[in-house]
Amino acid sequence: MIHVLLVEPDLLLARNYYDALKTVGYVVTAVPSAQAAILAADEAKPDMVIMELQLVGHSGIEFLYEFRSYADWQSVPLIIHTHVPPSEFAGARELLMKELGTHTYLYKPHTSLRKLLSAVHDAVPVE
Amino acid sequence: MATVPIREIAPPPVLTQHLLLSVVEQMKLPLMSIARRAEFGGLPGGHTDLSEIRVTADAAVQLLDNYILGVQLASQEASLMQTEPVAISSVLHNAGQRLQPIAKSYGVELDMHIDGKYGPVMAHRRGLEAAIVSLGYALVEALPAQDAPQLKLHLSAHRCRYGIVAGIYCDTEQITTDALRVGRQLYGRARQPVINVSHTSGAGIFVADAILHAMQSQLTTSRYRRLYGLGAVLPLNPQLQLV
Repeated sequence: MIHVLLVEPDLLLARNYYDALKTVGYVVTAVPSAQAAILAADEAKPDMVIMELQLVGHSGIEFLYEFRSYADWQSVPLIIHTHVPPSEFAGARELLMKELGTHTYLYKPHTSLRKLLSAVHDAVPVE
Repeated sequence: MATVPIREIAPPPVLTQHLLLSVVEQMKLPLMSIARRAEFGGLPGGHTDLSEIRVTADAAVQLLDNYILGVQLASQEASLMQTEPVAISSVLHNAGQRLQPIAKSYGVELDMHIDGKYGPVMAHRRGLEAAIVSLGYALVEALPAQDAPQLKLHLSAHRCRYGIVAGIYCDTEQITTDALRVGRQLYGRARQPVINVSHTSGAGIFVADAILHAMQSQLTTSRYRRLYGLGAVLPLNPQLQLV
């Protein structure tokens, strides 16, 4: 079973993504904050992470740096699924994709469930 | 050359593009939630919860209505604004009723401490109710995102130095005067102007701020019974206190 850690602060959206991922066979842990994500990953190492960059109290980038600082989590595939348009990261794309090991960057308002599921499947196919 | 008074040039805060941007950005959340929920119904094994879609849409429409009311109040002459004696308990009760469905969707419990002990104040009833509902919407959405141990909001009123504060309180320390001050400076410019409180543009807070400003009232942070909150400052009217 593939374990997906979903970091999504909006409870209603989290419920939608949780349901969709679960329906296609992923085991999902949904958390709203960076701190809860670190605790959840510590408890059960995820096979992949889907995360929003706009979190309460933290920038998602701070979370990414912290997450990648642990040896165990450096190779975990990561999808950024966010309200922040990619154009706002135009100058920092290298940082996101290479230094922080982002597999895919999805702009949330333009990302259907099918597109998200396809990106997740592309990163870690369901067994 | 005649000098033009500054007040005629500077638009009132509610008419700025920043508030509009904040509201527009905020609207993406319920719209996305509705779109994804509807799409889930079309996936194999998926289903669509129509009642959740309705509640999400209703709450979004309420925020839009409140924004429009704020703009209308701000663009009226102060003398045209119809204030009336308003029972705070009744306003809080109505606001609570309006917030109940969306609070339930977010798993947030609403608790009302309303006992009518403060008597009436002079206010614009619709404006005050809209401001409380907007604040409530912002906090209902923000509380689960804060990973707060207790998903509970309290609608309440209490006395302060300047009159009565009617507002919404919770058990998280993030709602501070500094957070509100910085938020007012950043809204419309930053994606998360009140980053320690909300993951969104915080439009509900700024719509309430605009409405209250237009009503010659004020949005303030407030502490009450070890809870932290946001509320409207309503000056006491000595004559009404005799009623």
